[in-house]
Amino acid sequence: MNRITIFILLAAISISSVGHAQEVTEILRPVNSVYTLEAGSSHVTDTYLSPIKYTGWHLGLKYERNQAMKFSPENWVMQLRFGMEADHGNNIVGNRDLWYGELNFSWGMSRRWKLPIDGLSGGVGFSTGLKAGCIYLDRGGNNPASAKASLMVNATGYLAWNGKIGRLPVTVRYQPVLPVAGAFFAPDYGELYYEIYLGNHSGLAHFGWWGNYFALDQSLTADLHFGSTSLRIGYSGSIYSTKVNHTVTNIFTHAAVIGISGEWLSLNPRKKLSKEAEIISATY
Amino acid sequence: MKKFLLGILVLFSLTSCHEVEDYPNNPKGNFEALWQIIDNHYCFLLDKNIDWDDVHRRYSIKVNDKMSQRELFDLLSEMINELKDGHVNLSSPFASSYYRKWWSDYPQNYDARIIQQYYFNFNYLSIGAIDYGYLPQNIGYIHYSTFESGLGSGNIDLILNYFSNAKGLIFDVRDNGGGNLTNVEDLVNRFIDSRILAGYIIHKNGPGRNDFDKPYAYYIDPVGGGHLAWKKPVVVLTNRSTFSAANNFVSIMKGLPNVTIAGATTGGGSGMPFNSELPNGWGIRFSACSILDSEGNSTEFGIEPSDGCAIDMDRQDALDGHDSILDFAIDYILALP
Repeated sequence: MNRITIFILLAAISISSVGHAQEVTEILRPVNSVYTLEAGSSHVTDTYLSPIKYTGWHLGLKYERNQAMKFSPENWVMQLRFGMEADHGNNIVGNRDLWYGELNFSWGMSRRWKLPIDGLSGGVGFSTGLKAGCIYLDRGGNNPASAKASLMVNATGYLAWNGKIGRLPVTVRYQPVLPVAGAFFAPDYGELYYEIYLGNHSGLAHFGWWGNYFALDQSLTADLHFGSTSLRIGYSGSIYSTKVNHTVTNIFTHAAVIGISGEWLSLNPRKKLSKEAEIISATY
Repeated sequence: MKKFLLGILVLFSLTSCHEVEDYPNNPKGNFEALWQIIDNHYCFLLDKNIDWDDVHRRYSIKVNDKMSQRELFDLLSEMINELKDGHVNLSSPFASSYYRKWWSDYPQNYDARIIQQYYFNFNYLSIGAIDYGYLPQNIGYIHYSTFESGLGSGNIDLILNYFSNAKGLIFDVRDNGGGNLTNVEDLVNRFIDSRILAGYIIHKNGPGRNDFDKPYAYYIDPVGGGHLAWKKPVVVLTNRSTFSAANNFVSIMKGLPNVTIAGATTGGGSGMPFNSELPNGWGIRFSACSILDSEGNSTEFGIEPSDGCAIDMDRQDALDGHDSILDFAIDYILALP
């Protein structure tokens, strides 16, 4: 409780929430928000553009929001993620530049359990992820760019340990996200975007599964709880590998992560907090 | 449960990061990479009856690790010149290769100076890539030098309106090496009054030499929106250096009722080029996707003029300040009822 930052927000209460006033005053579900910046390396190959691998830097800005679910806050948590990523690379001789930009969004739920080791908890669940991006190679012609878009259902999980290093409260968390199935966009092997512009939209959407769309995002982070705000440090890595229409795309990143996290509650100042109110955190 | 877990394991074993063939950055590796890119992606190997395996046999024995960069460049350039394609270029830091025989083996059939001096006395108008003006016979003349440069709808309106009193229009695309197909559409839509089948586009759908998707028909609609359209006769002038998007323009215009093609067979270049690169960073451009005419025929080898309208520039006429092809077009329009 003393680790939780409580911001009292003046929020209007809807009719429905009035109807469940008893529940609101008894179960409080703080929102855990995390803002991170990641920086590291990237390796990009897209055979629609070039068979050559491009290596360079990776940057990402990410927002993550975790909250216990209303229907079963002890057991279920939700996670929303939003990210903006940019990669830049050069070929091995350094005479070409490749850029990659991506926006991604996901929302999902996990069933969680306390594990029989003190401070250890874990969860498994699913999420739906939307991703849109574009690889651009500064070479002109009719294939200067390769667009990426996907809507996938992901398997997710996490393992978290709450403890102390010295006197400092720490949460160490490992979280993988593994897309399982969905749909993604890819032009045909030698198809020009001009042909798509002309109206040939057949064969652009593909069913994605592990055989043609393999991706894995994983992060290992430590939240160092310095009073009301926590410092997040850690590692983030991603694998994105697709093969469809005889075209291969590989995007691999490794990055160091730094950010801040905190928890906040939205309360009605006109309602007294019940003495029996229980705070159920999504993460700690 | 065991079966479920086993199934997951089997599924996972099918996955991995998909591999891309890696060629070393040495003469042999660059040669193989180039040969493979063309083998997998070039769209005219069959149309041109090229035995690409034989090309490999003949050139691979000439590659050795002691070759200088220029020697390698010369050898690779010679190899891709076997494709006889103006859209195929190898680009290195010190040179780009060009296959020039598609135009150098033919008469040029165009001299801009003759028209500028002897037909307009240098009094013509210019906007973007277009030079235009009235010929003395009250015929409008437009020379469009490249489809790289488009014109706004308002600009085209002004030019067509300028020619509103002309008996006809001569649209000269000689020495037009192509550009953007969207600019072709922006011009063709001024010469039609209903939707037309412009042609077909056919792309490769795999690395095999016969892996092609079915041709996709594409259409062009009249300009509409209150913009001006041209209803009077048009003669399009062509030479061997009318290439790529300009070749496509001629291909479409040739099918229109009020349009006559005069001059020489165009240079072709119907393959939409892709770019790729070799391990040493050299760029390679090649035809990846073919555009067919409205009857489904390849235009890679050029568009012939309309019947009875094939004509070369006469050298003696040129010395006297006459463009035989332009003169033919003027006479043709004047002879129309």
